[in-house]
Amino acid sequence: MNPEIETILMKVQKPGRYTGGELNSIIKEKSEVEVRFAFCFPDVYEVGMSHLGMKILYSQLNTKPYVWCERVFAPWVDMEELMREKDIKLYALESGDPITEFDFIGFTLQYELSYTNVLNMLDLAGIPLRSEERTGLWPLVVAGGPCACNPEPIADFIDLFFIGEGEEVDAEVIELYREYKKRNATKQEFLRAAAQIEGVYVPSLYRVEYQEDGTIASFTPTQGAPSKIKKRLIMDLDNLYFPDNFVVPSIEIVHDRAVAEIFRGCIRGCRFCQAGFLYRPVREKSPETIDRQCHDLCCNTGYDEVSLSSLSSSDYSNIQELLEKLLDWSQKEKVSISLPSLRVDGFSDELMSKLKTVRRSGLTFAPEAGTQRLRNVINKNVTEEELMQTCNTAFGGGWTTVKLYFMIGLPTETMDDVAGIAQLAQKVVNAYYSNPNKPKGKAVRVTVSASSFVPKPFTPFQWEPQDTIDTLHQKQKHLRDSITSKKINCNWHDADTSFLEGVFARGDRRLCQVLELAQKRGCHFDGWSDFFHLSDWLEIFEECGIDPAFYANRRRSFDELLPWDHIDYGVTKEFFIQECKKAYDSATTGNCREICSHCGAACWKGGICVEKRSDLV
Amino acid sequence: MKNVRIWFEKDGPARFISHLDLVRCMTRGVHRSRLPIWYTEGFNPHPFLTFPLPLSLGVRGRHEAMDVKLLEDMPEQEIIERMNPCLPEGIRVLSVTEPVMKPGRICYALYELRLTAQGVAAGQVEDTVKRVLALPDIVVPKKTKAGVKEVDIKENLCRYEFLALGDCAGLRVTLPAGSVNNVNPQLLLDAVKKYGELELLCDATRLELYNEEVEPFC
Repeated sequence: MNPEIETILMKVQKPGRYTGGELNSIIKEKSEVEVRFAFCFPDVYEVGMSHLGMKILYSQLNTKPYVWCERVFAPWVDMEELMREKDIKLYALESGDPITEFDFIGFTLQYELSYTNVLNMLDLAGIPLRSEERTGLWPLVVAGGPCACNPEPIADFIDLFFIGEGEEVDAEVIELYREYKKRNATKQEFLRAAAQIEGVYVPSLYRVEYQEDGTIASFTPTQGAPSKIKKRLIMDLDNLYFPDNFVVPSIEIVHDRAVAEIFRGCIRGCRFCQAGFLYRPVREKSPETIDRQCHDLCCNTGYDEVSLSSLSSSDYSNIQELLEKLLDWSQKEKVSISLPSLRVDGFSDELMSKLKTVRRSGLTFAPEAGTQRLRNVINKNVTEEELMQTCNTAFGGGWTTVKLYFMIGLPTETMDDVAGIAQLAQKVVNAYYSNPNKPKGKAVRVTVSASSFVPKPFTPFQWEPQDTIDTLHQKQKHLRDSITSKKINCNWHDADTSFLEGVFARGDRRLCQVLELAQKRGCHFDGWSDFFHLSDWLEIFEECGIDPAFYANRRRSFDELLPWDHIDYGVTKEFFIQECKKAYDSATTGNCREICSHCGAACWKGGICVEKRSDLV
Repeated sequence: MKNVRIWFEKDGPARFISHLDLVRCMTRGVHRSRLPIWYTEGFNPHPFLTFPLPLSLGVRGRHEAMDVKLLEDMPEQEIIERMNPCLPEGIRVLSVTEPVMKPGRICYALYELRLTAQGVAAGQVEDTVKRVLALPDIVVPKKTKAGVKEVDIKENLCRYEFLALGDCAGLRVTLPAGSVNNVNPQLLLDAVKKYGELELLCDATRLELYNEEVEPFC
């Protein structure tokens, strides 16, 4: 380790974030690799190290002998201050080398409020922020992840985006780069060629023009770039690379356990949920594969807990069989299984008895809205009866803590719907006390967590205005006032951060100058309430002559050209329009296992779209 | 069931692992090594590990101890070979012994401190430290669970000698350690700051633990 770094580590919180040397981290000989990839997570170590996608791509890229992929995280504010003071450049954890020496600097974009951290990390590395200011072939700044579905607000800073699932396209781009580097190609030559790979978006090859009202007039590809960028996805998850080993952090992280993916996509079509549409169609891993992957991971990491990851784990079609397989070895080896993302209607007695053999944590369910009408609007096909039944099952099984997730600010929402949240929570409390099998002598705790709805691209609500901060505050107050029981705990998300998230979620390229100025003004860790100041942001917007409400609070018309219309996730705009209209009529749409709604994802010719379904048999 | 004491070093990047995190690393390491270790029998079974004396964050440990219960006997070499691949860089099992003394016997610890100060020559650092340690009373505040109390380092300063290390001032010092009276080397730095008006950077290594007779803890 660099001795200068060692001395500053004595002065910062949690220095273990910055040392590297964790079990299973991969060290290669610099002179023996041709491509160095800095995998950057634009948040602090404990958050980034909890992210499954990074673990998969890190291990996978390192299986290639000519590539060395290393990890980089955003240093916490105390460390950043000392790094700037001592002029220590942002470095990668494995080699300790500054990331300016790398061929690729790759960011994963998990949420909009990390954009300033992306810029700040480049700045800490001494790398020019704007793509056009970086004239050499390397370092290439690339990005992927769910927020890449609307790449426009950071388009000026990123040379190349990966759209969709990364396992194949990352490797193809790196291979192409290796060739171009060998023949001393220019950055322009490389980017032009890379744009021809499916799932690659090179923003500098597109020209945007705006209308007088601020909406987009045209979006034109140049230099042979494709007019639509199709996402990449992998159909056969059983034969897809999955690491049998994780880097095991030496300090405690947010999700400190082994994680195995059980399927990608989601059969539900909740209209607010971006992930549910981005990852279509549903593709499952077989119970055998999952069982093997869980076992390998536990053996190789020493973790005593494995979590089954998906968007809605009780929708896995073989959940009972899978749990039986896992319980076969996990109890003997003192490993516990956790099953997050359970649906209200997916929690059965049988499932509970299996989960009970392992660690007992609180139960969390997400009804999302307080009234049946609004749940129909958002297509969260869960009824009050189902919620009550589930809670009763849980109470009978000894659980006393239930956490309920809701959103406020949903389209068509009224104050009655907001009060409905409190009423629903009260019904859960009442159900506990009228349950004859409830645990003796224990009080129930119901936590209501209300986040603010942020309309996202690639959802039926992509045209909707977001509630203003004032309206959200009124609704939060109304919710608080509607709760009368002391058994109900209520918390909500900060409306200010949701507003900024809303701006960047559906923003266009004109927001790049805002981000650039925000980085200069010291904005970072915007997702952390300690560091987020809306007033600073409003000043920055004003200086740039940009009205943030144009992006967050404006209703778009169905025929407006949207900033992300050139990105293609398979699900068609027509389907989103149809779903949006159905939402206004409080009409629901069946899930993919019940009925095909012809969303367009069948164009990928795989997964649930080609499986036998009850409506086809 | 057999009690064994696993001796290890904690150096390099691992010195920045806090005690709580060290417990987690060792728990996972033991779990992964598949050593026949006794697990607790509660609702969440976990390997039963005890650490005779925790080491402060940032301090290197040359000869640290961890006690475990083995369900069946196993040769020392095999334990070492099974454990080491399961530990992060900087933590290495050195030997395994049968515990002779109970952890409560620990009374002293021997430290080696490499002291520097920004823009000050090593000789001058050494002179300042010497001058402070020669004072009749060296009283510094110490944070304890019960609040801040004043500690006189002078009466706790058992033995010390300066080492010729060239690029920094070297100090080898024995300090009270253990559950009754524990003096962290940081207090020495606080004293030098207070009485010598010199802010020191310190690279500290705990070399050995001792019992009340100043015999090595074993």
